[in-house]
Amino acid sequence: MSDHPGGNGASGRFAVNMGGFRLELEFEVDAGQVLVLFGPSGAGKTTALRTIAGLVRPDAGRIVIAGRTVYEDRNGAGGRPVWVEPHRRGVGYVTQQNHLFPHLTVRQNIAYGLRDRRRESARHRVAGLVEKLRLDGLEDRRVWQLSGGQQQRAALARALAPQPDLLLLDEPFAALDMELRRELGSELRATVRQFDVPVILVTHSREEALALGDEVQIIDSGVTVAQGPPLTALEQPGRGRVARLVGVENLLEMRVTARLPQDGTMVCAAAEHLLETPLADGCAVGDPVTVGIRASDIILAAGPLPQSSARNTWAGVVSAVSPRPPGYEVTLECDGVPLRCHITGTSLEAMGIVPGLPMWAIFKASSCFLLSE
Amino acid sequence: MIARFLLGNGRADGGRQQSSLGALAPAGVAATVVYVLFIGLPILALLVQASQQEGFLAGLRGDMVLQALRLTIITSVVSMLVVVVVGTPFALLLARRRSTALRVIDTFVELPIVLPPVVAGVAMLMAFGRNGLLGPVLGALGVTLPFTTAAVIFAQVFVAAPFYIRAARIGFAGVDPTYEEVSQTLGVSPWATFWRLTLPVAWPSLLTGLTLAWARAVSEFGATIMFAGNLTGRTQTMPLAIMTAMESSLGAALALAVLLLAMSALALAALSVLLRRTGSTA
Repeated sequence: MSDHPGGNGASGRFAVNMGGFRLELEFEVDAGQVLVLFGPSGAGKTTALRTIAGLVRPDAGRIVIAGRTVYEDRNGAGGRPVWVEPHRRGVGYVTQQNHLFPHLTVRQNIAYGLRDRRRESARHRVAGLVEKLRLDGLEDRRVWQLSGGQQQRAALARALAPQPDLLLLDEPFAALDMELRRELGSELRATVRQFDVPVILVTHSREEALALGDEVQIIDSGVTVAQGPPLTALEQPGRGRVARLVGVENLLEMRVTARLPQDGTMVCAAAEHLLETPLADGCAVGDPVTVGIRASDIILAAGPLPQSSARNTWAGVVSAVSPRPPGYEVTLECDGVPLRCHITGTSLEAMGIVPGLPMWAIFKASSCFLLSE
Repeated sequence: MIARFLLGNGRADGGRQQSSLGALAPAGVAATVVYVLFIGLPILALLVQASQQEGFLAGLRGDMVLQALRLTIITSVVSMLVVVVVGTPFALLLARRRSTALRVIDTFVELPIVLPPVVAGVAMLMAFGRNGLLGPVLGALGVTLPFTTAAVIFAQVFVAAPFYIRAARIGFAGVDPTYEEVSQTLGVSPWATFWRLTLPVAWPSLLTGLTLAWARAVSEFGATIMFAGNLTGRTQTMPLAIMTAMESSLGAALALAVLLLAMSALALAALSVLLRRTGSTA
């Protein structure tokens, strides 16, 4: 953690103990960037946000928002503890249930945090936010008269109105349907860029983390187990624990049988199955490895492709088809090893995929990644 | 025909069919008729008798009636101020914190609701009377409580406060603390959050509780007569005055009774109007 995070960013490193549960977090996020805290429920994500907002008091550490230390334990540079109350931190906080104030209109909700809310200047500011977040014509509505998506946009407008130095979003789209999530997600990214505010977003949805994050921190049981750009951290995690957290659909226990340095690959085997994977430096022939393959990286074909650059082709029989919006998850039983593949509804119909149908799973060596515990 | 009139053509939950009551419907209709007559007849009788009673109008303007009315309004308003000032922060604490001590206090709060008011009056005499527990202390300070207007207020607060505190606690408990936290992250201090968020959201409950408490204070009789006595102009509130007047002038008693009835009805009407108004804005 640097002492002066990117000028208008936020950073921190703190520990919180809450009745047997301990959260340790170190974070840094620049203005206009989205840091995603990703993890299962109970991992400590919400506690992290609440601590940064000042709603939970940490036991040790330091939190800096826009160059201002808002929390520091007694071991800090000043020699005495620093504590800035939530209402003086300049932090916007949007919850999953939006918590729009039920006794106020949309306009009054948005203006709630403005000191000059009775003056002309506030009217302009509210009008600007109403327009940006497409709430036109809803200003005088009661909050329960809004749809779920409109409510979340109003909550975002309310949080942005006092020009916060940091925006905290706690599963803001979890209560919405898929289509609306995508729409609001892209709106959120545009809004964040425009307001040039640092954002910390909590989610347990991999799609959301991938779509919205500039950086992802994966949290489990109160500790950060991985972090990095979303594609790396979530799509090809390096460790088994992380792979299970981010929901890598196929994890295969195998053994290295041959190294092919000229191709940059190696061959792994489990029983009758052979798999070509990227070459790993530390692996010798005979070593046990865990190979991860994302369900969306597997192509299903009615027959083996005679000429293809893909290195892996497994034959199997469809054992299960289940809806997984927006598409379907097909389980292909390949001689005792189930492979899970994600396909669209159109493909499912076009190919007439039903349980019992023999099919082939085709995937590239580079779609396979090796995991260490 | 009465049944048709009573049942109308809709259910309380907005449904259109009436079949859910089935065979119980006639019993319900009969019970409703009996109950409405039981409550309505005495009130009707009071109004009819009062209008025919000689000296009713004179009674309305009588000294005793006016003094009792004035005293009742003053004491009940002061009582309600005390109840609101003390009861509101207390109810907020009960709604927001959990501790063994608070749980015990919480059950204790409602004791005056079930306690016979006469017992409350005796208990207050034992505490604040000349020979009471605090008697020597009060005596040394030159303060006499029993049989004063202050004692009337004591008695009213004692019996009426739980009605407000209970309703206020329920109202505050209905405001999810996360709202208050979000308010603070918007730069609004905890104090301002209470005024701008918690209070307005809990307002209907507080208002209902206050109306009930006020009605209870106005009708207070037992504790008042024990602890404050029955002194015209000083401790004789309307219920006490009715009791006293019954012995001498039925006209004055009926005048007081009708006044008290009108005040109660007015309070109920005002409450429903206020609730409807906040209901449309809240």
